[in-house]
Amino acid sequence: MDNKPKSTLPVLVEPPKGAQPHGPLGHGYFLGETKRQQALPMRESLAKIKNWFRANSLWVMAYGTGCGGIELRPLTTARFDFERFGMAMRPTPRQSNVIIISGYLAVKSLKRVIRAYEQMPSPKWVVGLGSCTINGGMYWDSYNTINRLDLYVPVDIYIAGCMPRPEALLAGFGELMKMIKRGEANGWNHYLENFDWYKENQKKVINDWNMPDYNW
Amino acid sequence: MMHILDEIRERFGAEWQNEQRPDLLQIGVQAKTIVPLLTWLKAHTPFVQLTHLSAVDWIEDGEFQLTYLLTDPKAHVSLMVCTRIDREQAEAESIHALWPQAVTYEQEINEMFGIHFPGSPRQGVPFILEGWNDIPPMRRDFDTVAYMNSHHPSRPGREHTDPRAYIGKVFGERGYLHDDD
Repeated sequence: MDNKPKSTLPVLVEPPKGAQPHGPLGHGYFLGETKRQQALPMRESLAKIKNWFRANSLWVMAYGTGCGGIELRPLTTARFDFERFGMAMRPTPRQSNVIIISGYLAVKSLKRVIRAYEQMPSPKWVVGLGSCTINGGMYWDSYNTINRLDLYVPVDIYIAGCMPRPEALLAGFGELMKMIKRGEANGWNHYLENFDWYKENQKKVINDWNMPDYNW
Repeated sequence: MMHILDEIRERFGAEWQNEQRPDLLQIGVQAKTIVPLLTWLKAHTPFVQLTHLSAVDWIEDGEFQLTYLLTDPKAHVSLMVCTRIDREQAEAESIHALWPQAVTYEQEINEMFGIHFPGSPRQGVPFILEGWNDIPPMRRDFDTVAYMNSHHPSRPGREHTDPRAYIGKVFGERGYLHDDD
């Protein structure tokens, strides 16, 4: 019998290893798709074509959580113009496949982020923008902001800085596109494989959990 | 015309008064005179606009300070009416009958400092925080670092540098660089 007092400390473990590896080039589970179907071989060339298409039509959800949101606006305008890379801002999660966590994330916003992320159609990618998403940044001891984004949603790429300028964002998106083409940006698979781990972490910080529990 | 601060002192009594700038006056009054004083100010003086209502935690004195910032919109002069209330029995009279927007300020102060305004409509309704289950976070006895360490884990590898020690190490005991250096 374990008599150790129950700690309120969050469990600081890495997500469980040994889950089913995702497909060779990043094609993963879709909703309702079983692992058996997943195991069916998919021709690599077809996967490459799919990934090329995916990488060249990143639709970003127009949602800014922190001060970094201000760096996203110039991207859409003439000077930096990310539409030349096939990117566009979309108003709802159902129409987008990239969500940018732009800076500090309050627990209240985290709830909305999780809700939005789960509504986005797969494949989907998360970009952590700024130091705050990495380890809390200058708000590391603020009472109401999270310190590590990757405990709650799978982050595919971080763009460090406080704040990173639009050039840095473009470089980060370029890197994300390369990762997608190589089939390495698999955070959405990671989320499904370690769904319980993510849910446990999320429910540790969100006290009034009144969202639906999906059963993927 | 008598100066507004002198007139307030004569009518309602004041503990202290200060003219910080020509357009920013301060006066400290007893908590029980707040509602009559603000009613009189709104009815009989140009200070008709409630610009802000804020709280300060004076934990050493065991008191909260409430500051009602009124503005004369034509002359662009502001008047800070300050009062102290007990920290243990943190209760203050609501002024939402005078200015409806005070409801929001009182709701936020109630959430962040735990000061209760009896009769104010949205007391206890969550405003900014969601599911908060600790003492109100703006009270100074709330240890924000301990709260973060126990609730929000950091990524390993973060280094902490005490600013005072670091500045002393870099710039010497004086703490700053002089022209002669």
